[in-house]
Amino acid sequence: MTALRQLDETLWEIPADARADMRVPARIFSDEGLLAAIRDDRSLEQLQNVATLPGVVDAALAMPDIHQGYGFPVGGLAATEPPEGVVSPGGVGYDINCGVRLLVAPFEAAELGDRKESLVHEISRAAPAGAGREAALRLTGAELDRVMREGPSALLDLRGVGREDDVERTESRGRLAGADPGTVSERARRRGLGQLGTVGSGNHFIEVQRVERVFDPAGAEAYGLEPGRVTVLIHSGSRGFGHQVCTDYVKRMDEALPGFEFTLPDRQLACAPLSSTEARDYLGAMAAAANFAWANRAAIAHAVRDATRSVLGASAADGVRQVYDVAHNVAKLETHGDRELCVHRKGATRAFPPGHPEIPADYRAVGQPVFIPGSMGTSSFVLAGRQGAMARSFGTTCHGAGRRMSRTAARREIDGAELRQRLEADGITVRCPSTRGLTEEAPFAYKDVERVVEVVERAGLAARVAQLRPIGVVKG
Amino acid sequence: MSPVYRWVDHAAEIELSIEAPSEEAVFAEALAALAELLTERSSSRGEGERVTREVIASAPDRPTLLAEWIGELAYLAESDGVVPESLERFELGPNALEASVAGPRAWPPHLVKAVTYHRLEMGEEGATWRARVILDV
Repeated sequence: MTALRQLDETLWEIPADARADMRVPARIFSDEGLLAAIRDDRSLEQLQNVATLPGVVDAALAMPDIHQGYGFPVGGLAATEPPEGVVSPGGVGYDINCGVRLLVAPFEAAELGDRKESLVHEISRAAPAGAGREAALRLTGAELDRVMREGPSALLDLRGVGREDDVERTESRGRLAGADPGTVSERARRRGLGQLGTVGSGNHFIEVQRVERVFDPAGAEAYGLEPGRVTVLIHSGSRGFGHQVCTDYVKRMDEALPGFEFTLPDRQLACAPLSSTEARDYLGAMAAAANFAWANRAAIAHAVRDATRSVLGASAADGVRQVYDVAHNVAKLETHGDRELCVHRKGATRAFPPGHPEIPADYRAVGQPVFIPGSMGTSSFVLAGRQGAMARSFGTTCHGAGRRMSRTAARREIDGAELRQRLEADGITVRCPSTRGLTEEAPFAYKDVERVVEVVERAGLAARVAQLRPIGVVKG
Repeated sequence: MSPVYRWVDHAAEIELSIEAPSEEAVFAEALAALAELLTERSSSRGEGERVTREVIASAPDRPTLLAEWIGELAYLAESDGVVPESLERFELGPNALEASVAGPRAWPPHLVKAVTYHRLEMGEEGATWRARVILDV
């Protein structure tokens, strides 16, 4: 069993000398209870593997929602320093820029009343899961190139999808610089052309919520979150486009590894020095996929507005405002202190503090919004980034509750019909065509989100602004 | 021995474990396993026009070739809606394979995001070929 040393009330460490190949320590933000579950899977071993990457600085880090992944653990974070520090596609994940977008409506849940069911139904029709041929938006090749380069602002210009203020309130304004369509394979392009505007399956969803509680009145006011207001949380990513980009570059870097002067403890950590052609090409393709994902969430948000229009009228739809959009699978070149670093966030969210210039002007006094979805049927949380994140975690916090149970185990625990009944009894309207998919995402399959959020708050990474309670969920 | 596959469920991914009397049987079992996975999740089990598609894959070693094979089958399901049910032709070379795969165009959900290299294995132990592949779902 790996020996963990407690550094403070929310931080544990596996020292760098625990294994000969570790270059830095491995550190985990957690509490005693969450740590007991973390020790049960391979996530700590995987975090130690991350600590072996060439050019990794300070520590390989994990958030309290960490669980076993492949290569990097999910909830893992590592920064590497150019030019010989590496970039690892596995440190971003297959679903490049999987992330979360929060919208707030101009009406309250109480006003919605009986129309809630219609709204959830219309959202499920307007934003397809994406199985089969049901793309919401079909782009031409040239349009896809622009979306890859420019993200949602291209979609706005080309098709009138989204709004300018949505783009302003998106991490990186929905566009990572350096996106290069020439580094994206033909197969990735084909997959992307058929899937823009689709949610996906698995743990992707659209959730209709109400603001249940405000912890930080100033932050909630800045974000536009009043108690009782209806919100809509969209969880989706780059779909098959991003999956293919990651597949392509894991393969390419795996093949190139013999030419580099290092070995890896796990093939899935395939990587290349940031100064290499392989790394530059990957960053160009990853940026294209990230921009595609932001455009995807923009298209889904557009569909939510369409659904709102059809149930509640134009004025209500026009009043739906984007709070923010965050990525939780991405690698970004960022400045931390006096260092330019490649920060890999795999199941982790950027959390910049008050005053940071990258935050939209109307949020700068309170900090960058962070969204922590709970599992289906449990609360989600809105947080604001804090200075502690810059000091301790390269400006990063957790991304969600994290699974604690396999899909098979979850299906054994509860019958799909029973789960639907429980959710409906809790006032949650459910649209999910797959009973199996529903049971696999049952609330008990995930860690306690309130506990995860409490840890990041105590650690100084982010602070709670509001709690959102689900009233409807759409799943693929 | 009869070939056998089993799924081992982890928190966020699925592990496919195969035992078979030959290399060719490992690849056939992988197809059968994927068909089961996709069919279980599909709301239109077995429905749809039955078609045959050609699949080609290449890789420098057997474990990677197995990963490529499953990846091609998953792509066929996603892009063409084909649930790969049977092999009409299968030719396995040192670093490549060619196959004719048949099945219904049932348009299953896009379940398999990718085939990972994490703990990827395929090798011979006595008279048995064993393989392990982890899928991101």
